Amino acid sequence: MKPAAFEYRRPASTEEALALLAEHPGAKPLAGGQSLIPAMNFRLAAPEMLIDLNAIPGLSGVTPLSGGGLRIGAMTRHRALETGSAVAGLAPLLAETMPFIAHPQIRNRGTLGGSLAHADPAAELPAVMVALGATLVLTSRAGERRLPAGEFFTGLFATALAPGELVTAIELPAPPARSGSAFIELARRHGDYALVGVAVAVSLGTAGTCAGASVALFSVGEGPVVSPGAAAVLQGAEPGPEAIRAAAAAIDRDIDPPSDIHASAAYRRNLAQVLTGRALTRAFERARISASPTEQ
Amino acid sequence: MIVEGTYTFAGPREVVWNLLLDPDVLAMTMPGTATIKRVSDTRYEGKMGVGIGPITAAEFDVVITMTDRVEPERYAMQIEGRGRFGFTRGHAAVTLSADGAATIMHYQADLMVGGKIAAVGQRLLDSVSRMLLKQGLEAMSAELDRRLAKGSG
Repeated sequence: MKPAAFEYRRPASTEEALALLAEHPGAKPLAGGQSLIPAMNFRLAAPEMLIDLNAIPGLSGVTPLSGGGLRIGAMTRHRALETGSAVAGLAPLLAETMPFIAHPQIRNRGTLGGSLAHADPAAELPAVMVALGATLVLTSRAGERRLPAGEFFTGLFATALAPGELVTAIELPAPPARSGSAFIELARRHGDYALVGVAVAVSLGTAGTCAGASVALFSVGEGPVVSPGAAAVLQGAEPGPEAIRAAAAAIDRDIDPPSDIHASAAYRRNLAQVLTGRALTRAFERARISASPTEQ
Repeated sequence: MIVEGTYTFAGPREVVWNLLLDPDVLAMTMPGTATIKRVSDTRYEGKMGVGIGPITAAEFDVVITMTDRVEPERYAMQIEGRGRFGFTRGHAAVTLSADGAATIMHYQADLMVGGKIAAVGQRLLDSVSRMLLKQGLEAMSAELDRRLAKGSG
């Protein structure tokens, strides 16, 4: 299969890329190309022009922020996040998620910014970004703006990106003290789109009660779905099996999963609760371990 | 694929009925719809273009044939769509019941989707159809409010 004819540009700077994007409304930025190129080869997508971002220096790489968080360039490959020590230390949820994304060949090319801008409802990274409270840095010729991940995803393959705007970086806050996280997904085969997946981040107060919890699911709606219900149940609660069960049950009101040939909506609903319970159990366990370093 | 649900319109049943069968309203409210014409009392023909995310607007020629029409209670339709990316075929049933000043619409559709769109986009069909339906019904509801405010019906 071959794509329809298109123009190809390979700008050497972000400014040049933004200028091209502003001039050509029919153009698509090309990051890792792991979703866009197959869509073009199937002729489901036929952009007039591709603006290849791969030759722009400075769009990739992971740098620690002075406040303790991380800044990840939008063109950073999945593989770099999977193996980088800064990510493993400061964003273990992200590191834990990476092996579940497709296959190594795809992770060698695919980028964080590309995955977020594509906003596939079954993608892992949008949910992880929302669970971690990430901030997206969006750049256009008019300048830069920062948007919380929770406000970036607006629907099925839809984001708050304005025409002429690029995702240029992602900022992750430093994990709070006594915090833990976990990622779980179930797919029919490893690397397939998950039937349901969940990313959770929790933190404990000094008394050992839950000081904050964030539960984000995917493949259960139009994009990453946050469960305010689960967070409300856990806030201030003793994070034992009872609270976790109640929190997992509370997500039922927050999700609206689809049916397809692989799984019915009812099955996904049940699975979402089971996986959320398991992820929360694991995350609280990790938070307890981080709270008492001597036991490590 | 079965699409089923209920929707409440804040207006009397006769007004909702007219709205649902008005080709101009359908063209305006169905997401991405380009044109829709009433060829006869029971037959509508139109063109629909729907683009989602990276997918270029997929154009479909759509023919809707009304059957079993009992004004203003219920109608059924045969739906046939054909385009470069695939086809859809099926039937849908709509019932309207009055609930005080409001009207409750119940819809059920059984649609077969085939061709490239089904082969590549299988996992998204349910989400996409629900999203389009929601957008359409909300737009129709807004149009109903507008008409009622104008007092034209």
